[in-house]
Amino acid sequence: MSKIEMTVNGKTVAGEAEDRTLLVNFLRDNLGLTGTHVGCDTSQCGCCTIHLNGDAIKSCTMLAIQAEGADIVTIEGMAKGEKLHPVQQAFTECHGLQCGFCTPGMIMTSAAILKQTPNPTEHDIVKGLHGNLCRCTGYVNIVKSVKRAAEIINSGA
Amino acid sequence: MQPSRREDLRLIQGTGHYTADWNQPGQLYGYVLRSPEAHADIVSLNVEPARAFPGVVKVMTFADVEAAGFKSLVGGVAPNVKGVGDSAMKKPFYPVLADKKVQYVGQAVAYVIAETAAIAQDASEAIEIEYSQLPPTVTVEDSLADGAPQLHADIPGNVGFVYERGDAAAVDEQFKRAKYTSKIHLESQRLIVNPMEPRACLAVYHADEDRYTLYSSSQGIVNMRNQVSTVTGIPQAKLEIIADDVGGSFGIRSTPYPEYMVSLLAAKQLGKPIKWVGTRTDSFLSDYHGRALELNGEIAIDENGRFLAFRWDDRVDLGGYAGGNGAFIGTNNLTITCGGVYDVAALYARTRLIYTNTTPISAYRGAGRPDIAFAIERLVDQACHDHGLDPVETRRKNFVKAAQMPYKTPLGTTYDCGDFAAVMDDALAQADWAGFAGRKAASEKAGKLRGIGFATFLEASGGGNTPSDQTAARFDAKGDVTIYCAAGASGQGHETTFISLFAKELGITEDGIGYRASDSNMAVVGNGTGGSRTLLGQGSSFKLLAQKVIEKATPHAAEALGVTADAVSYAGGSFSAGGKSVGLRELAKKLASAAAAHPFDCGAEGTFGVTFPNGCHVAEVEFDPVTGVAEIASYAAVDDLGNVMQPTLVLGQVHGGVVQGAGQVFGEHAVYDRESGQFLTASFMDYTMPRAATVPLAMKWRGHAVPTKTNLLGAKGVGESGCSGSLPALMNAVMNALRPMGIDNMQMPITAAKVWQALQASEGGAAVRKAA
Ligand code: FES
Ligand code: FES
Repeated sequence: MSKIEMTVNGKTVAGEAEDRTLLVNFLRDNLGLTGTHVGCDTSQCGCCTIHLNGDAIKSCTMLAIQAEGADIVTIEGMAKGEKLHPVQQAFTECHGLQCGFCTPGMIMTSAAILKQTPNPTEHDIVKGLHGNLCRCTGYVNIVKSVKRAAEIINSGA
Repeated sequence: MQPSRREDLRLIQGTGHYTADWNQPGQLYGYVLRSPEAHADIVSLNVEPARAFPGVVKVMTFADVEAAGFKSLVGGVAPNVKGVGDSAMKKPFYPVLADKKVQYVGQAVAYVIAETAAIAQDASEAIEIEYSQLPPTVTVEDSLADGAPQLHADIPGNVGFVYERGDAAAVDEQFKRAKYTSKIHLESQRLIVNPMEPRACLAVYHADEDRYTLYSSSQGIVNMRNQVSTVTGIPQAKLEIIADDVGGSFGIRSTPYPEYMVSLLAAKQLGKPIKWVGTRTDSFLSDYHGRALELNGEIAIDENGRFLAFRWDDRVDLGGYAGGNGAFIGTNNLTITCGGVYDVAALYARTRLIYTNTTPISAYRGAGRPDIAFAIERLVDQACHDHGLDPVETRRKNFVKAAQMPYKTPLGTTYDCGDFAAVMDDALAQADWAGFAGRKAASEKAGKLRGIGFATFLEASGGGNTPSDQTAARFDAKGDVTIYCAAGASGQGHETTFISLFAKELGITEDGIGYRASDSNMAVVGNGTGGSRTLLGQGSSFKLLAQKVIEKATPHAAEALGVTADAVSYAGGSFSAGGKSVGLRELAKKLASAAAAHPFDCGAEGTFGVTFPNGCHVAEVEFDPVTGVAEIASYAAVDDLGNVMQPTLVLGQVHGGVVQGAGQVFGEHAVYDRESGQFLTASFMDYTMPRAATVPLAMKWRGHAVPTKTNLLGAKGVGESGCSGSLPALMNAVMNALRPMGIDNMQMPITAAKVWQALQASEGGAAVRKAA
């Protein structure tokens, strides 16, 4: 067991975890942030995507202890109070989710895509989403959501 | 900003409640040890080393579930369904934990319970099991071969059931007088359902009341509770099942799994909550698989191009046991619409249900309906090709006409309504069918092979095995109302749809209306989500419920207005009489009290019939002949879903269904090794899921409603139509592109490797590669 400290959604948090504990389990079990989901055990689905020091990463593919001192944002930290993050807003406007299980990961990945590529082409979007699986939506409205989010962000709303 | 759905706000902010998100103080964790063998006797099983592992609380095996009196898992056809020669289905006992023998890789053998999930998993490795391997059979063909390995001692030849429907002699007659005949062999390959939320459960025993709570994803409470009770002996009244948010179902969550039953037992025995969270590997190995059907069809056609008869001889791979709804799919669902949208004189279908050393199958989006729709439309297309018939005009000539509705098929199924020719014309216009030659020429110029295909299909929706769909309304002390039904959502947006429907029906706004599904404390029964039926079943019942609320409220309104009940009329959310009026809400608030049940509380129920969503989907596919890589160049569909309540949500269902079909056509395939019986595609690294880059993002769709009278909403259901349309439309497009190369049949999935190999071997392929 080691004591691990990090910043999550702007707050300093700490917890005890085994060396083998995955970051995703630390977030879910120690910190109670169950919005980050586990959809696979081979790093393929992207349901666990979070932002670590500004990058989108798969939190199932990192040990909690490796995130010592990191600055993490999870889906729970995306909205500012009542105000949704533009990507969250776009997903609901465009019906970019059905069961919602893939959605936190999709939103975190999409936000990172838009940070790197503020005016993405369709190709940029589908390439960027390659590591995120969705079984419900057929991706059509997810891609639409990312385009819409770009619009919202670029309009400064 | 306009959110599309009520569900969204929690789901986009990470505050939904999926099963693994629930916790209880003092909970212990379960881990399932699964069989690594496809077919083997368990010679010895020693769990003591695991029991001795620090942190382990209990290890359960068949002996524990036997001592608890557990019955077989539920599966197979209903007892009143008889096979050929009045035979009954042969169903082996399907133990919750394996007894003496394992029948497939992944079968649950032991359940380890420990203080943490990691300890439980570590300890499972200490269990000593000696297996004596038996030769496996993982295909229907191998199971039927002479000298095939026998799975179950009392089921010689591995044949569980031979079922038939229709008139074989009448079909023979039609084939005798036919001018043309064609036949086709098709495989609807085994798939992994793969909802994104892996299965999980949390079982709690309340000793003081001798009652259980099971947190578990489900498609509806009635089936789940019924089957858990049948297997475990826990009375239904003592079992509460909670499912809030469910991360996709597609058919596999309508019945319970072994982990839920052993967790309930352990929760009672240990007096502590038991949590089990499956991994994706568990999903691949132990969720019921989908499809695994082989369809062999023949068609008889007269000299005028009129279809006379269809004959089917299908084989259903049940897996190691009869589980879930596999047998129902392989009998009823494969045959009920086996003449499709066509008016034919005779139909006959035989299906054989076979045991193999594989994970048992159950429902996957459409549950046999997409498979038969696919087979009919592939066969019709093949026949048109074989005999030089025009695919559009031949279909038109043979459609059941709108004027023939209601139409009784030779099997006795009644199609209530539909206008197949109008739907087809609409779809072909939307897809610019007539302009294909130009697009093909452009593709050819770019060195690509382009094909077009379409399918006109229908499927049976509705039905269900609970005789009626009940709903209920409960008003609280503030006069707000919660409405209830027994179907469980997993992304369909029931909360949005039903609250909106109920409010509209009452002419009130949606505030103050809550929705609860599958609440065990309400004695509301009804069918689970499935068969595209929830809107037409539960939705119709909600419409009735709104009327019931008005009826209940009317005498109170009369009193408030100082008139007799018959003088009161209701419109736009208010009761009025003689120039005075009182709002329903206002009245509900006034009559509310914390002390007593609200006088407006009521329930409704109804039985709603089977109906037939139908459509015409048109697809174009382009292959790169050098690599064999396919691209869906265009996709345009028209569906008659009857009346549509929520267009945005309906379109979402179409997208999802079409892409699941595309997944099956171009990549998905659950593969077992024929020699060892090992499962080769047990992860997302080995199993090709559709991804954002591989789907037809520019899909076009429109509705063409011919409302049904079989339910109160005129709706026909949408859940499964996307798959039923996309499998045949895409495959007809694939064959249209490949036939000129000399390739006359190819089984799904149409992978680049398979196409490349076929083109290497074909003369047409060599020519076009050279040109490219
Ligand atoms: S859970 Fe992290 S990629 Fe699937
Ligand atoms: S919305 Fe269900 S998996 Fe994406």
